[in-house]
Amino acid sequence: MSTRDLVLTALFTAIIIVLGIIPPITLAFVPVPITAQSMGVMLAGCIIGAKRGALAYLLLILMVAVGLPVLSGGRGGLAVLAGPTGGYIAGWVVGTFVTGLVAERIVRETQGGARQIAGFFLASIIGGIGVVYLMGTIWLAINTGMGFVAALSANAVFLPGDILKAGIAALAARAVLVGYPLLPQRS
Amino acid sequence: MLKSLHVEGTTLLHRLSVRTKLAVLFAASLAVFLTVDPFVLGGAVLLSALVFATVGVSFSQAVSRLAWPLVSIGLVAGATAFFETPVHGLVVLFRFATLILLAATVTASTEVGDFMEEITRLMMPFERLGLVNAADIGLALGLVLRFVPEIATRYESLREAHAARGLPVRPLKMLAPLIILTLKDADMIAMAIDARGLRRH
Amino acid sequence: MEIRFADCSIHYGETVALHPLDLVLTERRIGVIGLNGSGKTTFARAINGLVKPSRGHVTVNGLDTSEDGPAVLGTVGFIFQNPQNQLILPIVADDIALGLKSRGVAKAEVAARVEGILMRFGIEHLARRRVHALSGGETQLVAMASVLVTEPDILILDEPTNQLDLKNRKRVIDTLAGLDEAAIVVSHDLSLIESFERVLLFHEGRLIADGMPGDVVKAYEAVALC
Repeated sequence: MSTRDLVLTALFTAIIIVLGIIPPITLAFVPVPITAQSMGVMLAGCIIGAKRGALAYLLLILMVAVGLPVLSGGRGGLAVLAGPTGGYIAGWVVGTFVTGLVAERIVRETQGGARQIAGFFLASIIGGIGVVYLMGTIWLAINTGMGFVAALSANAVFLPGDILKAGIAALAARAVLVGYPLLPQRS
Repeated sequence: MLKSLHVEGTTLLHRLSVRTKLAVLFAASLAVFLTVDPFVLGGAVLLSALVFATVGVSFSQAVSRLAWPLVSIGLVAGATAFFETPVHGLVVLFRFATLILLAATVTASTEVGDFMEEITRLMMPFERLGLVNAADIGLALGLVLRFVPEIATRYESLREAHAARGLPVRPLKMLAPLIILTLKDADMIAMAIDARGLRRH
Repeated sequence: MEIRFADCSIHYGETVALHPLDLVLTERRIGVIGLNGSGKTTFARAINGLVKPSRGHVTVNGLDTSEDGPAVLGTVGFIFQNPQNQLILPIVADDIALGLKSRGVAKAEVAARVEGILMRFGIEHLARRRVHALSGGETQLVAMASVLVTEPDILILDEPTNQLDLKNRKRVIDTLAGLDEAAIVVSHDLSLIESFERVLLFHEGRLIADGMPGDVVKAYEAVALC
């Protein structure tokens, strides 16, 4: 791993932590404020790509594990990982990787803005929602004995908010791609 | 900023090695799935609550640390009770409450530095296989702790710059500039690490 | 010390950052001046191997930067223009210690050497401070300490007085004057280099003047203001 990749990874972990400290984002048409940190998976995958993004999340989880309050609201410690929602946290790593993988394949620096935004949106939906929900649900279903379908349906409450986040993350990722492109390109 | 969740103390739990505490936590995470008796599991919750109480976490600290995990298991247990049986819901609640209390105990009684040392040791076999570099993990962690306050300050100055220009302060608008400004430093930081020879072993 | 550029040129893709250069440096205080984009930073980075020659060779005390990278890094310390990016651990003493630890220095010796360097710079009181909370002048001094603790023979400073107030500027200049190590200083601050033994002027990737400060600064004014 190059020193630059190591630094980009660590800086993105630091950004994710700061996104948990700054005031939540309020949108005129949504009643609940959005915590910027909850878009971290989508942002990391779309901006620094699959490998570095997933490593940034592994580093974040390591910090949670050793007892640093790095998650929004000052949460941290092994207690956060030990709960039935631990599968979602593992899902962050894989979800970031998949978001990055999709983005690296379909978004090109030469494309028009609308196509890039659409590409990032799709990548965020697949990785940031699909993969995270899937892993979280499997873990939940195994640990509670609840059926998979029942556990999956519990996610439905969060779906509208997360689709909105995918949209915001896609816009931000496209702005970063224009200003300072870092996303590796895959064919 | 980023003050560790460790609580100063000299109790028995503070003196136990990190490895022992993690091993007990891991064993407990398997043991709670060996029984479905709500009375046994309820006893386990009480026992771990007692253990947690010995490490010197104040009541308000305990509430702020445990509230979120407990609410989340409450919701999950509620859903389980609804889809399965109430007893089933109670079993889920007790199992995870036990684990969360024990996990919070380990966190409160262990210093970040000791934890990192144990993790570095656990990584050694992987390092020998060439999969990871334990020193890099420490370096990356140091970088994060070093740059979190820097980035938070940068967010503040971006916010002020927006306000000074009479623009509405929208966190959404500042997301991309914040990320760009931060990641642009990566090249210089990486060059400095190489110039100082910090990754030679 | 001896730094030798032998028919060294440096390209970034199509752009030529440094045209073929032959040069031997042995002085203890050397200034490097020139306009922005003149190639002076590339020149400085080539000395400790941060930038490798596209053609030719750069040697420091007989070590080739392209072949003996780690040894050259041990011989030449580099202080960057924005030294806050060079300090990478949150606490001052930990950051200074890191350079020694990664070179495998024993724990007890690390502590002694960190303390020694802090005393030498008169900044013992900063040992447990957060890097983030240091002032500009303090950051510059800590950055110098973090590099000098590994005992390089030569120190390169890129714009060391940039963005410093008058008081801190004086502090950095005094510290610089007291260094036993050889120093190469890249700077826009012409009064900083007026007492140096030798000054190099770069313009559009070429060395166009080389000599005593007075003469070279005159040549600089001629190219800068024409």
